[in-house]
Amino acid sequence: MEKTTVDHKDNRFELLKELLLADDRKDFNILRDEYLEREKFKVKVAPVVDEKIEDLKENFPKYFGKTITETIKIQIRDSQDEVVEALYPIMGKLVKKFIIAEITKLTESINQTINDKFSISQIIKRLFKGKRTDADDVLQEVFEPIIEEVFVINKDSGLLAGNYSRGNIADKDMVSGMLTAIKSFAKDSFSKDGQDIEDIKFENFQLSIQNFKTIYIAIATSGVISSDFEEELLDNINNLAEIILRDRSYLTDEEKLNSIIQKTLIKTE
Amino acid sequence: MIAKKVLLVGNFGVGKTSLIRRFVLNEFSEEYISTIGVRVSSKIIKIDTEEIKLLIWDVAGTSADEKVPKAYFLGSSAAMFVFDLSREETYNNIKNQVDIVKQLSGLGTITVVGNKKDLVTFKEIEQLKKTISISIDLITSAKDDENVEDAFKELAKQSLN
Ligand SMILES: Nc1nc2c(ncn2[C@@H]2O[C@H](COP(=O)(O)OP(=O)(O)O)[C@@H](O)[C@H]2O)c(=O)[nH]1
Ligand SMILES: [Mg+2]
Repeated sequence: MEKTTVDHKDNRFELLKELLLADDRKDFNILRDEYLEREKFKVKVAPVVDEKIEDLKENFPKYFGKTITETIKIQIRDSQDEVVEALYPIMGKLVKKFIIAEITKLTESINQTINDKFSISQIIKRLFKGKRTDADDVLQEVFEPIIEEVFVINKDSGLLAGNYSRGNIADKDMVSGMLTAIKSFAKDSFSKDGQDIEDIKFENFQLSIQNFKTIYIAIATSGVISSDFEEELLDNINNLAEIILRDRSYLTDEEKLNSIIQKTLIKTE
Repeated sequence: MIAKKVLLVGNFGVGKTSLIRRFVLNEFSEEYISTIGVRVSSKIIKIDTEEIKLLIWDVAGTSADEKVPKAYFLGSSAAMFVFDLSREETYNNIKNQVDIVKQLSGLGTITVVGNKKDLVTFKEIEQLKKTISISIDLITSAKDDENVEDAFKELAKQSLN
């Protein structure tokens, strides 16, 4: 059937519309096509996107964790205060975790320090043990306390001024030097107020260190050490120090010093 | 016999411990040095007619290292600064480092030793001498046992001044 524009009002109106709005219609068609195309695309793509989003939700830390951690690390390093301040209200939990981790680290380092301290006593033990055997130690244990070694050492240089030795330490000079180094090390690393080490005990062996202005005296004892023995020893050491510091020639005359050590501390004749 | 405390300092790996080993020849466990950062060895050396007992402090790490207690430098009569002829980073700041050792030890002169001679050519040494900001006292090789005894003799002489 043929369409006539004359006999139908509506038709005419349509025609007019067509004529007048031709350009708009063209635009509209383009838009519609585009929209339909997009809808088609959406139907196709949506599941993939959803899947991807689910995957991201689940595996976000895996994909981006490293990058984010790195970024945060750098941020924290570069502007620690600001970052913590900004993060705290939002991510209180995270910050808490971070602090806990830091405290854990601190605890570990304290433990490490204790271990180091322990290993220092191990070093000293080996320095002083010389060539004596464990069997000697066991026998010794039941006996009264005995002075094993006395070292009078120049404080700064660690040079041995004189000594008494019951055992047979291979290299007394080296032992004096090492002991001095250990003292400095311990003073530097462990104590808050630069306090010196004074007593080191392990098993039936004890090392007491008495510090004076220019010298220190290290006494190694073994056996069961009573408080009486300890008190007497301390008195004797102070007497010895007094003698030495009053007459400095002791510090340059090893033989003279050795005999005064023997006389004041060992007293066996 | 007189005894003197002497120091060996210088960057990690330049050969301080090797030089001392070569000179002293008494082995002593490395554990000690890693725990407290120093090891003391002793050796008697004869200078002219005089015998001197050297207590050699092998200070691990550089002198500027905070980990090394300053007290290690006290009471020493001489110090040797060792660098590695084959590694520039061990001597490109040498003047500064030697000055720090001088400050910490209170010593006026430090014996400067370039070690690992076996790894460089004569030409390279000549070149290095021109560029370095300090004069080198001895060129040694702990590996080939070259000039090691002389280096410690120099140190002993310094300790008597
Ligand atoms: N080729 C060569 N290697 C050396 C020499 N002296 C030391 N080394 C090596 O350099 C490294 C570091 O030496 P070491 O004595 O531990 O250095 P330190 O850290 O200064 O005590 C070791 O692998 C040594 O074997 C040398 O004269 N020549
Ligand atoms: Mg070393």
